Amino acid sequence: MEGFTCELKRYRQAKGLTQGQLAELVGVRRETIMRLEKAQYNPSLKLAVDISRAVGAAIEEIFVFE
Amino acid sequence: MTMKMRKTPRFPKWLFLVLLGMTCAAATGTAVWYDLTYNSGRLVYPMDSYAFQPMDIPMIIVVAADVLFFLHLAFLLVRGIIAQREHVAKTGRTRRLSPKFGFLGFLGLFGFAGFWSYGALGDLTPFVFFTFFGFFGFFFEGKMSNILMDERYKENAVRAELKAYRVGFGTVFALLILAGQSGRFKADLVAPVLVAGIALTVALTMFLSEYLLYRYDHDDTAALEEGE
Repeated sequence: MEGFTCELKRYRQAKGLTQGQLAELVGVRRETIMRLEKAQYNPSLKLAVDISRAVGAAIEEIFVFE
Repeated sequence: MTMKMRKTPRFPKWLFLVLLGMTCAAATGTAVWYDLTYNSGRLVYPMDSYAFQPMDIPMIIVVAADVLFFLHLAFLLVRGIIAQREHVAKTGRTRRLSPKFGFLGFLGLFGFAGFWSYGALGDLTPFVFFTFFGFFGFFFEGKMSNILMDERYKENAVRAELKAYRVGFGTVFALLILAGQSGRFKADLVAPVLVAGIALTVALTMFLSEYLLYRYDHDDTAALEEGE
């Protein structure tokens, strides 16, 4: 997706979580986390909020729209 | 005092059903042979009015057994569907299905019987069997059996269905034009072209919605895993 970058991988690793663990925490499949990290999927607001709470970072720091 | 329970190997249910079906088929064959040989084929050939005779008893018993068998199959099917729906509602996961159910798609081959039945009897009904080609989609649904239906899955499902319907409606539109043209050459062709064509379109739509969902869900997964 143009103009969209995702810093999730960095925040997830800083939190010591694997993709599978994060997926389980936020109620999605690991494949969804994989695509999010590659900025190939645009999450819903609810998922974005859940992820931001799980990794302890603000939404706009994780998902960056230029 | 403790009693040791010996584990007996469990007889698979599907094998039991297959054996039961084969028994019913064999019994029906025997009853037809009996009726033709000893009962002048009273219950095999069409009749205007029926009056009971004791010689009819074997055939009646076999037909009753066949009906019971099919009712049992229908009951198992309905119970399975209800259980699958409960599973989906309770767990938020896709229904549990073996990809082997995809082989049911071969039932669509029965649709070709329509060419014979329409020519010989003017009956279009067998063309409807072409719809069963859509069961080939179970190959792909089975590959995504019992996975979590998260928001990306649901989005992909809607996307795949929309695409499949678009292709389906386009095909029906083309078919209608074709059927209208065929009327100029031979009006008899309109009905079979429409029935067979629409049955095939339904099958295509059923198959495409599963196939596309699988493609949307799995494309580039291998490439993504490398980057983990």
